[in-house]
Amino acid sequence: MAAPCRRIAGRSLLQFLSSFSRTSVSNSGFRQFSSTSVCRGSRQAQHVEEIASSPWTLMAAVCLQRLPVISAESNPIEQQFRDMMSQMEFEKSMMSDHELRLLDDAEKMRRMQAGEYDSDEEENRRDQEIVLAQDLEDSWEQKLKNFQPAARVSDSEGDPGSLQRRLSDSLLLLVERPVGREKLWMLPQTEWQRGETLRETAERALSSLPAASGFKATFLGNTPCGVYKYKLPRAARTESSVGTKVFFFKAVLSDAGAPPATESPESSLLWVTKSELQRYVKPAYLMKVERFLLGF
Amino acid sequence: MSMCLSRSLCRVLSRQTASSSFMLGEHHHAVRTPWFASVMTLKTSASLRAEPKKKKKVSPMSEQLQRDRLKKRVKRLEKVPPELIPVEDLVTPVSCLDETRERSAVNLLFEESERRALLLKEWCRYKQEQNMAEMQAVELALKAQTEALEELKLESEELYHASLKPDTLLFPFTHEGPVHTPPIKEYEAPDGKYNNITKVYTQ
Repeated sequence: MAAPCRRIAGRSLLQFLSSFSRTSVSNSGFRQFSSTSVCRGSRQAQHVEEIASSPWTLMAAVCLQRLPVISAESNPIEQQFRDMMSQMEFEKSMMSDHELRLLDDAEKMRRMQAGEYDSDEEENRRDQEIVLAQDLEDSWEQKLKNFQPAARVSDSEGDPGSLQRRLSDSLLLLVERPVGREKLWMLPQTEWQRGETLRETAERALSSLPAASGFKATFLGNTPCGVYKYKLPRAARTESSVGTKVFFFKAVLSDAGAPPATESPESSLLWVTKSELQRYVKPAYLMKVERFLLGF
Repeated sequence: MSMCLSRSLCRVLSRQTASSSFMLGEHHHAVRTPWFASVMTLKTSASLRAEPKKKKKVSPMSEQLQRDRLKKRVKRLEKVPPELIPVEDLVTPVSCLDETRERSAVNLLFEESERRALLLKEWCRYKQEQNMAEMQAVELALKAQTEALEELKLESEELYHASLKPDTLLFPFTHEGPVHTPPIKEYEAPDGKYNNITKVYTQ
């Protein structure tokens, strides 16, 4: 309890004043509207009263993840097991056509060198071209060597702002926002506005980031995956606003798009793995966020 | 019947000829004897030694009946279920079971077999730990979600119900899985030539 209060020292004033004024404006707006249909209006008026009476400000945040691009490195035990299994399977297997051909060719070469071949065979061989299976194998290996795949470990490993780092792990998007007197790293979030669902708020939170304009994300469902609530410091608390509840929504990044032309220091993004999260984010926040992030 | 008929006919004719010769005297036929003889050998019916043939009633329905019979035969043939297309993956081709393909048996050393057994046990333990960790992670995520939904319910019923609605636009959801090496930017894959020798079966 103490930790979040310390965290949100002073952030409150402007925030809760604005929320307070917003609710009062919408109250009057609704009463005008509800005159049209009685029962609908009464239910909506009830809802309005619910929201207005609840002292918690609602916010929605987006947990945008870039899923791994390449397969993870194997543990030593996994590697050992893989080698052993391939060996066992090889021992239990039958020989393929290619292997039989290799054996036949080796046998023929041996006989030719020993000088014990028939004249019939020699005639046959003169008609056909000798393509040994070994030659085929060599040509295939040569073709494989000519192909240069991209490196598994890219250059931008240490740069936390690049999307190309840690290709075998899933990355999470963090932004820096001023809270009170300090700037804190957190998942992108915005306040909930009347008339939209929380998921739409989360989508707005993502699209409102200037650096994330080209991002194509798929939101996984309408349900929030986690919640973080914090209370405002005692001094700033009023009857109508005690604290904020932040609901997290999961999204998967499908396309990053072109990077923005101008990068202002305010709109800096961070892509971190789950293990690096603790370096940037406050412990209470981390505790809540870590639970719905699968992986390590 | 035809025989007695012919006999009676012959008798009648002979009586007639006899009576006519009696009556007419010299007006009887000059060729009475050969004619009489030919009458005896005259074939009044088609075959005197076979079964009497049944008369075929030429009915206007016969053609339709024939057509119906053919249709019935065709239906019986069609009722046979179609031959099942063989699944080539499940059928071991005979050439694979050839004896010449067998590898020479490997004699494992004692240490090697021991090492393999121990590695299998270690792998089993490792996989069990991995599975338990996965299940716990999923349970934790589920707990976090139920907590979020409870908090939302406390806040507003409408938002709670809106978040419980299923997302119809999510599926079909596709995502390219992890590969061994990352994709090369602006790579032109070369066209390959291939001979398609898959067998196509028709039922």
